[in-house]
Amino acid sequence: MSETFEKKALIVGGGVAGIQAALDIADGGYQVILVERTPSIGGHMVQLSEVFPTLDCPQCILTPKMVMCGQHPNIDIKAYCEVESVTGEVGNFTVKIRHKATYVDWDACTGCGQCEQKCPTKAPSEFNRELAFGPRKAIYSPFAQAVPNKRVIDPDHCLKLTKDKCGICAKVCPTQAIRYDQKDWFEEIKVGAIIVATGYELYKKENLTEYATDPDVIDGLEFERILCPSGPTAGVIRRPSDEKEPKEVVFVQCAGSRDPDKHLPYCSRVCCMYCCKMAMLYKHAVPDGQAYIFYIDVRTDGKMYEEFYQRGVEEDRIVYLRGKVSKIFRQGDKIVVFGMDTLTGKRVEVEADLVVLAMAMIPNPAGEKVKKVLNLKTDQFGFITEAHAKLHPVETGIDGIFVAGTAQAPKDIPETVAQAGGAASKVLSLFSGVEKGQEAVLKELTG
Amino acid sequence: MKPRIGVFVCHCGLNIAATVEVSEVVKAIKDYPGVVHAQDYIYMCSDPGQELVRKAIREKNLTGLVMSNCSPSLHERTFRNLAASEGLNPYLVEVANIREYCSWPHQGDKETATKKALTIIKATIERVKRNQALVPLIVPLQKRVLVLGGGVAGMQTALDIAEGGYPVTILEKEAYLGGRVRQLDRTFISLESAPDLVNEMIDRTLKQPNIEVLTTAQIENLSGYVGNFEVRIRQQIPWVDPDKCNGCEACITACPAEVPSAFDRGLVTRKAIDWTPGERSGDKSIFLDHQVCRRVTHQENCTACQEACKEGAIAYPEDRFIEQTYGAIVVATGHDLYRKSALTEYAEDPDVLDALQFERMLAEDGPTGGKVMRPSDGKVPKEVVFVQCAGSRDPDKHFPYCSKVCCMYTCKEARRYKEKVPDGQAYLFYIDIRSTGKGYEEFVKESVEKERLLYLKGKVSKIARQGDKLLVLGGDTITGVQVEIEADLVVLAMATVPNPGAKELARLLNINTDPYGFIQEAHPKLAPVETLTAGIYLAGTSQAPKDIPHTIYQAGGAASKILSLFSRKELVHEPLVARVDTEICAGCGYCRDNCAFQAVDVDPIRKKAVVNEALCEGCGACATACPSGAIQVKNLDSKQVFDMISIVTQDYSLQP
Repeated sequence: MSETFEKKALIVGGGVAGIQAALDIADGGYQVILVERTPSIGGHMVQLSEVFPTLDCPQCILTPKMVMCGQHPNIDIKAYCEVESVTGEVGNFTVKIRHKATYVDWDACTGCGQCEQKCPTKAPSEFNRELAFGPRKAIYSPFAQAVPNKRVIDPDHCLKLTKDKCGICAKVCPTQAIRYDQKDWFEEIKVGAIIVATGYELYKKENLTEYATDPDVIDGLEFERILCPSGPTAGVIRRPSDEKEPKEVVFVQCAGSRDPDKHLPYCSRVCCMYCCKMAMLYKHAVPDGQAYIFYIDVRTDGKMYEEFYQRGVEEDRIVYLRGKVSKIFRQGDKIVVFGMDTLTGKRVEVEADLVVLAMAMIPNPAGEKVKKVLNLKTDQFGFITEAHAKLHPVETGIDGIFVAGTAQAPKDIPETVAQAGGAASKVLSLFSGVEKGQEAVLKELTG
Repeated sequence: MKPRIGVFVCHCGLNIAATVEVSEVVKAIKDYPGVVHAQDYIYMCSDPGQELVRKAIREKNLTGLVMSNCSPSLHERTFRNLAASEGLNPYLVEVANIREYCSWPHQGDKETATKKALTIIKATIERVKRNQALVPLIVPLQKRVLVLGGGVAGMQTALDIAEGGYPVTILEKEAYLGGRVRQLDRTFISLESAPDLVNEMIDRTLKQPNIEVLTTAQIENLSGYVGNFEVRIRQQIPWVDPDKCNGCEACITACPAEVPSAFDRGLVTRKAIDWTPGERSGDKSIFLDHQVCRRVTHQENCTACQEACKEGAIAYPEDRFIEQTYGAIVVATGHDLYRKSALTEYAEDPDVLDALQFERMLAEDGPTGGKVMRPSDGKVPKEVVFVQCAGSRDPDKHFPYCSKVCCMYTCKEARRYKEKVPDGQAYLFYIDIRSTGKGYEEFVKESVEKERLLYLKGKVSKIARQGDKLLVLGGDTITGVQVEIEADLVVLAMATVPNPGAKELARLLNINTDPYGFIQEAHPKLAPVETLTAGIYLAGTSQAPKDIPHTIYQAGGAASKILSLFSRKELVHEPLVARVDTEICAGCGYCRDNCAFQAVDVDPIRKKAVVNEALCEGCGACATACPSGAIQVKNLDSKQVFDMISIVTQDYSLQP
């Protein structure tokens, strides 16, 4: 084994978990291949407005790490790629990677963005959660600080690829990087260890049939984009239907979580904190507005979290109502929210302008394939099962394969960063232990 | 030597060129004093762009570069590396940021932007003129780790580092490893035996050849810095020789010092010499606790145990001192519970326990052998009230923070109680049920349904003794009704607080604590295992209340930082550090007082400030504090700053 042990790591998923694990391993002197499905690393964290409890903006705290990843001599970012198959064992995995066609020669693309400026076709932006006021172009980079800073063409919307018309991007590109005839291509790499950090998605709003499907009933990530100063509304709070400033906003926690009968039995862990944060940010942007939060329990249990919640109630006058929301429906210009306040025992009816649903966290469906090809054990909800909940929370039970972040269970950023460090330390221990072992063997052989 | 500076202006596609008239800038700067070369290009960072820079360095014999492009965080390193490869000292290269500082914020105002770009470039030229060629500092790295605390956090960190091939010393102040978890009965949510879990870990720790465990040991003194911490350790040498001791207990009988057992949270007493607490049943040994021995507490020359011992196993040697150099330190000193007596509204009563006392009662290796009984009379309690948030979430009188684990362990304790006393009833007072981990919500739900735990939302206002019963008065905020329970036993989920001594330790290590005494991490999101002192890391509940899985992640996180650090041959430190002009320095110490990194000190004999370059981060706080300008940051001295300011302000006048 000692000769063939590949001291190189594969990380699947370029969110904050993957980024942190990659940096830790790369700083430890080993090569990392970071595979990301979308055109840029950053994950969900870079979509957020500000993060609790410090109210830092992710642009300030995550993008430097993304740039470090992009520039690190030991990190090879393979963006817009997917893992196709994996064979082998610890020390010697063979991984087949699909490079999805970008229709742009990334070696030639300088990221200048002239193609994107001139592209005439608009399409819903995944990064902006497909909100009506935040479309992207058919040739695009998901956001301004993307790493790598390269463009991709969306083949479903590009006029050249769908109707053989236009071709403007090829004309304006100063480095002739556009390749309309590009196809997916495959690459095989060898690695010694794998970290799965495929992250989460939100449970679909449409699953909650008791709540109206309405443009002004949005999920947490959609509201994050609206709150974000660099988002599609430049941080001006507007509601999707008519772009008016909402004066009454209702936040509904546990939307799909803690509901064993109809939806998911588990707690999604971060919603209590992010609802409080979003309500605060909303109040900072609309001081004469009112925020209501429906909750079952307020679970603000991290360092300085309880204090944060107290601040939200006392300084920003967020109204907390203990109870579930039974119905949400449109009535003219308003969205009516029916709920209970179990503390007063009274029925509550709020005529809201905007409703934000803190949808349950589910494992990212895009990570299903990786879990399958790696034969990873998952719980009934699809979260990756760790080898031992207490003692081996980053091991998967398969030697050399580790897990980090929300692919394992809902968790917040500090815990994700700590867990990613934990997974990285397992890889570093493994590689460095093998190296030291090899040195010892070599020393013995050579006397 | 006259400066020969090259100025390179990047278009960044249209990012800069659409707003800044690049050719105008080049034309205007070409003849600026000191400039011998000026050029623009569409992408200076691209390969052809870099080649232009290389060519100019060679052909024009440049002595400095002003790269006028994007933020230095993006390409400063690129161009410094380029300069180095051409034999030009990298610290003679500076970036003039004309994108983020100029073209982006001034889009649509070409005239202003072009003028401002020129100003930024000129100011940077003035700076480069006085830049010195510097060489990075090389600091040796001692690849050995000191872990403070032998609980699960400390052991996990040590295991990860040791498996990576580096030697680790664990310092544990108690006589046993395992920390708080060793005192528990079961863990939530799997209800596994906590001693089994922790013993498995202790086994791995003791068998790991790279780990040295020093029990009854504490850190005495520390100096140095990352890579080279000089540590003095004080260890008590066991006063009982395990090889000679036959376990006859004669010494225990003879010992006059009887105290409440700390391990069993005072449920029972122990002698100063007694069986080692927290040890696995297989290898029990006798241990003399110095902290409670009359030789130490009363300075008496008591030799009762020595006289009673027929095997001659007991002697009283002095503590030993160990001096060792460590490259990194991990603080994993854990937590304690807030003391019950602080809650004056609750009676001080033998049947009012804190949660750890109840854990000891539930534990099979505990003083009752796992039997639940009231301490007052040994009766089996049929009505048990659990009070959550006892001292937590109480900003007015106690602690504002949430202790994170009480919701889960209270549920677990109530469930365990019901398993042992099936006809008993458990009541749980709570504010919110915070069961947020993987499978936690399901655990609480299952416990409520299976064991009929009665959850009451509200605070307990009073606990008072009434004859045989404890009267618990509380409110149920959901029904709005006053609740009164006549309980046999009350268990308080006391707030988690840092271990006593954490503050002094933090002072010794020069790291910060938060207002409650928990160790302060460098950044809650992005550097949760680092402290602000390079080379000192943290893990576990010394940083904040947390459960076992989170502790294990965090321990791994701390280990990975150290494994990264140790992968280098030596530490390379940026040479952009503070420098003292000893001719001017008066030794006032303002610089030392303003340094966040403990990098500056005043030599007591020479009365001059001294910079430890290995610790200095070049922030310049000392330079701004210095009344005489004696301390300056290299390549950003006050002359350079004022030269840049005069360029920037030359079009403005202070006169109205």
